[in-house]
Amino acid sequence: MEELDGEPTVTLIPGVNSKKNQMCFDWGPGEMLVCETSFNKKEKSEMVPSCPFIYIIRKDVDVYSQILRKLFNESHGIFLGLQRIDEELTGKSRKSVSILSAMELIWNLCEILFIEVAPAGPLLLHLLDWVRLHVCEVDSLSADVLGSENPSKHDSFWNLPGNTQTLTELELKWQHWHEECERYLQDSTFATSPHLESLLKIMLGDEAALLEQKELLSNWYHFLVTRLLYSNPTVKPIDLHYYAQSSLDLFLGGESSPEPLDNILLAAFEFDIHQVIKECSIALSNWWFVAHLTDLLDHCKLLQSHNLYFGSNMREFLLLEYASGLFAHPSLWQLGVDYFDYCPELGRVSLELHIERIPLNTEQKALKVLRVCEQRQMTEQVRSICKILAMKAVRNNRLGSALSWSIRAKDAAFATLVSDRFLRDYCERGCFSDLDLIDNLGPAMMLSDRLTFLGKYREFHRMYGEKRFADAASLLLSLMTSRIAPRSFWMTLLTDALPLLEQKQVIFSAEQTYELMRCLEDLTSRRPVHGESDTEQLQDDDIETTKVEMLRLSLARNLARAIIREGSLEGS
Amino acid sequence: MIHDAQMDYYGTRLATCSSDRSVKIFDVRNGGQILIADLRGHEGPVWQVAWAHPMYGNILASCSYDRKVIIWREENGTWEKSHEHAGHDSSVNSVCWAPHDYGLILACGSSDGAISLLTYTGEGQWEVKKINNAHTIGCNAVSWAPAVVPGSLIDQPSGQKPNYIKRFASGGCDNLIKLWKEEEDGQWKEEQKLEAHSDWVRDVAWAPSIGLPTSTIASCSQDGRVFIWTCDDASSNTWSPKLLHKFNDVVWHVSWSITANILAVSGGDNKVTLWKESVDGQWVCISDVNKGQGSVSASVTEGQQNEQ
Repeated sequence: MEELDGEPTVTLIPGVNSKKNQMCFDWGPGEMLVCETSFNKKEKSEMVPSCPFIYIIRKDVDVYSQILRKLFNESHGIFLGLQRIDEELTGKSRKSVSILSAMELIWNLCEILFIEVAPAGPLLLHLLDWVRLHVCEVDSLSADVLGSENPSKHDSFWNLPGNTQTLTELELKWQHWHEECERYLQDSTFATSPHLESLLKIMLGDEAALLEQKELLSNWYHFLVTRLLYSNPTVKPIDLHYYAQSSLDLFLGGESSPEPLDNILLAAFEFDIHQVIKECSIALSNWWFVAHLTDLLDHCKLLQSHNLYFGSNMREFLLLEYASGLFAHPSLWQLGVDYFDYCPELGRVSLELHIERIPLNTEQKALKVLRVCEQRQMTEQVRSICKILAMKAVRNNRLGSALSWSIRAKDAAFATLVSDRFLRDYCERGCFSDLDLIDNLGPAMMLSDRLTFLGKYREFHRMYGEKRFADAASLLLSLMTSRIAPRSFWMTLLTDALPLLEQKQVIFSAEQTYELMRCLEDLTSRRPVHGESDTEQLQDDDIETTKVEMLRLSLARNLARAIIREGSLEGS
Repeated sequence: MIHDAQMDYYGTRLATCSSDRSVKIFDVRNGGQILIADLRGHEGPVWQVAWAHPMYGNILASCSYDRKVIIWREENGTWEKSHEHAGHDSSVNSVCWAPHDYGLILACGSSDGAISLLTYTGEGQWEVKKINNAHTIGCNAVSWAPAVVPGSLIDQPSGQKPNYIKRFASGGCDNLIKLWKEEEDGQWKEEQKLEAHSDWVRDVAWAPSIGLPTSTIASCSQDGRVFIWTCDDASSNTWSPKLLHKFNDVVWHVSWSITANILAVSGGDNKVTLWKESVDGQWVCISDVNKGQGSVSASVTEGQQNEQ
C-alpha cells in the first residue's frame, strides 16, 4: 500500500455503542449512510441492545451555504469562458471573487508568481500590492516610515511605473541610497532620537528592528515583503523562497508551528505548483478552489512546464471531484454538467452515471435533465428517464402524458403498453381520452404496431364523424385484414361495422362483405376458454352469441344488397 | 438490530430492515426522517433490502431468515406485498436487482447453497430459475455486472432488445466467488471461479462501468481480506486479484460509489473505511469512519481526501 503523508482522518459516529458490533453502510448519490447492526463476529445474535439511529455522512456540508452557491455560480461562468478561449487570460484571471479571504490570498499570490510571472523589478511591487490588499495596516506603517527621512529620495526611487530605468540602474540607485542610510547610522547622526534610529535600522532592512514592530506586522508574509522592501527590493523570483522560509521562521520565533495556510504560501514562494495544489487539497474542505486553480494553470500551460506530466490528468481528476460534489445539490447539478463536459477522459461517463440519479420531482426539472441528455446524444439515459416518467404517468392514469414520454424515448414496447391501455379505456368508456395527442401523432405512429392501430382506429372514428363512410369502411376492413388490429379487438371492430352495414346505402362492397364474414368466422371458430366463473362465462357467452348472430344477419343482408347493386350496375 | 439500510436511486428514500422482522421505509429529503411505511410479512430477521430501478415504479425486495423473499410495491401511495417467493430451503441471505436494461430480474442467494432468479413477466407473474448447489454450504452474496451491450451501440428500432450478455457474481461459504453467465438457451452457467479467500466470502460487489473495457469486482471475507479483482479483456477470461488490505477481523460488506471511484469497506475493528485507487494502480485508504462512544463531536463531515 502507498505511503501516506498523513493518517486518514477518522470520523466518529456519536452515541453508538461500540461493543464490537459491526456497522452497515450504503452509498447515496452524494453521501453515505451508516448504522449499527447486531452482527457480532461469527454470531448473529441480537442480544446486545444497540443504537437505533442511522447516520448520514456527507463530505461537504458547506456546499449548501448561500455564499458558496454564489461563488460557485460566478466561478462557473469564468470557468466556461476559460475553456472557450485559447490565448493567455491575465484579464479574466484577475477577477477575484472576494468571499473567502484565505482563498483570495493564495489565489492572488499564485497569479503574481505563476501567471504573470513577475520578473525581478516589478515583483516586489506586486508583492507590496498583494500585502496591501490583504493587510490594511501596511498603509499606516509605510506612512510612518516614509514620513520623515529623505522623502524626495524615496519618491524618485519609487517612480517605477512607466519609467525607463533598467534593473541595474535601479539596483545602483538603491545601493547608493542604502549606503547613505548606513553611513547615517554609523555616524550616529540620529543618536539623540532612538525612534529615528530604529526607523533607520528598519530602512536598512535590519531584521531585529523589524521584528520589534511585530504587532504592526500582522503575519509573516507581511514581514517578508517589508523585509525585502528594505533589504533587497530587486529580489529575483527564484530567490524568494529563501527569504520566505527564513521570514516564516523568524516571525514564528519557534513559538508556534506553521499553519496549513503558511505551508501553502511557502510552497507558492517556492514555485512548487504541485505542492501548492496538494496542500490546498488537504487544507480546504471542498474542491472548488483547487479545481479552478489547476484548471487555470493548465490552460496557461504551466503544469507541464513545472514538470507535472500527469498535469492534465490531475486537472481532470480535480474537476471530476468538484463536479461530482455539485451533483449532490438540487440545483447546482446544472453547473456540474458543464464541468464534466470539459473532462475529456471520464467526463462523459461520469455525467451519464450522475445524471440518471437526479430526482425528477417536477416536470420542468425532468425536461431540463432530458435536454441535457439529448444535447449530448445520451440516448440510453434519455430512454431510461422517459421510461421512468412514462411509468409514473401510467400509474397516475395520465395516459396521454405516458404516451408522449414513450414516443420521446422511442420506446416501442412501452408505447404498445400504453396504447393497449388507451384501447381498453375506450372499450370500457366508449370514448377516447387525449384525442389531441392521438390525432396529431404523425410519423411517431410508426413506433409500434399497436400505436399505429390506435392512430388509425381513431382516424376511422374521425372519418365516420365526417360521414366519409366509404373511406371509413375501407379503413376498418384493412385494419383487420392487415393484421394490425389485435385479435382481441376484432369483435369491437366488427361491432363498429354494424352501423355501416345498416345504412340505407350500401357501403361495403360484396367483396368487402365476404372479407368481413371471413373475419367473423375466423374469430368465432377459435374462441378460447377463459378462466372465469361458470355463471359469468354463460352470461358472456350469451352476449357474445347475440352479437355474433346480429352480425351474421347484418352481413348477410348487406351482402344481398351489395350483390344486387353490383349486379344492377353491371347490367345497365 | 438493523441489518441493512439502502438508499433508493435518487437518495430521497431510505429502506431499512431489522431483526424485529420489519422493513421500514423513510422519506429522507432535506435531512428529514419521516416514516412512510412499516412493512410486516417476514417471520424471521430480515437480512437485506434492495430497491429496483425507478422505471418499474417503487419496488423493494427483502430477504429473510424465514427462507422467503418478499417483493413490495407502492400503489397509490401505499406499500403492499406484491409477491412472495418461498423456493428456498434455508435462510435467504442476499438479494440484488439486475440492471434495468435486462428487465425486472432479482437474484437471491441462500444458505441452502442455491441461487434463484426471479423474472417479472407481467400481470403480477414472476418466472423462477434456480441454480442449485451454486456454493456448497451456502451462498452469502450476489451482485450483478453492469449492462454492457456487446458490439455497436446504435439505436435498435421497434423495441428490439439489444443482445445483452447477463452476468452476475456470487460469494459463498466455500470461500469462492463464482461468475455466472446466461446462455442463449436461457440457462445459467458457471463461467469462472475466483479463488483467493481462505474463509467464507461475505460480500461481493461488481463495480459500475465507467466506459473502460476493464471489469472490477470487490470481495470481502471472514478471513479479514478484501480483494479487488480486475479483468482487462471485454470478453473476460482472466481475472487477477489484488489485495486491498488485510483487516484484523471479519469484513462484512463492500460497496462502490456511483462512479466507482471510491470503495467503502465495512468490518474489521468496527470501522467503515473508504478506499481510492491512485494513479499508479495502488489502493489508498482515504478515510476512516469510526464508532465513538458517547462523544458528541459534530465532526461527522470532516473526512478529508489525501492525494497521492
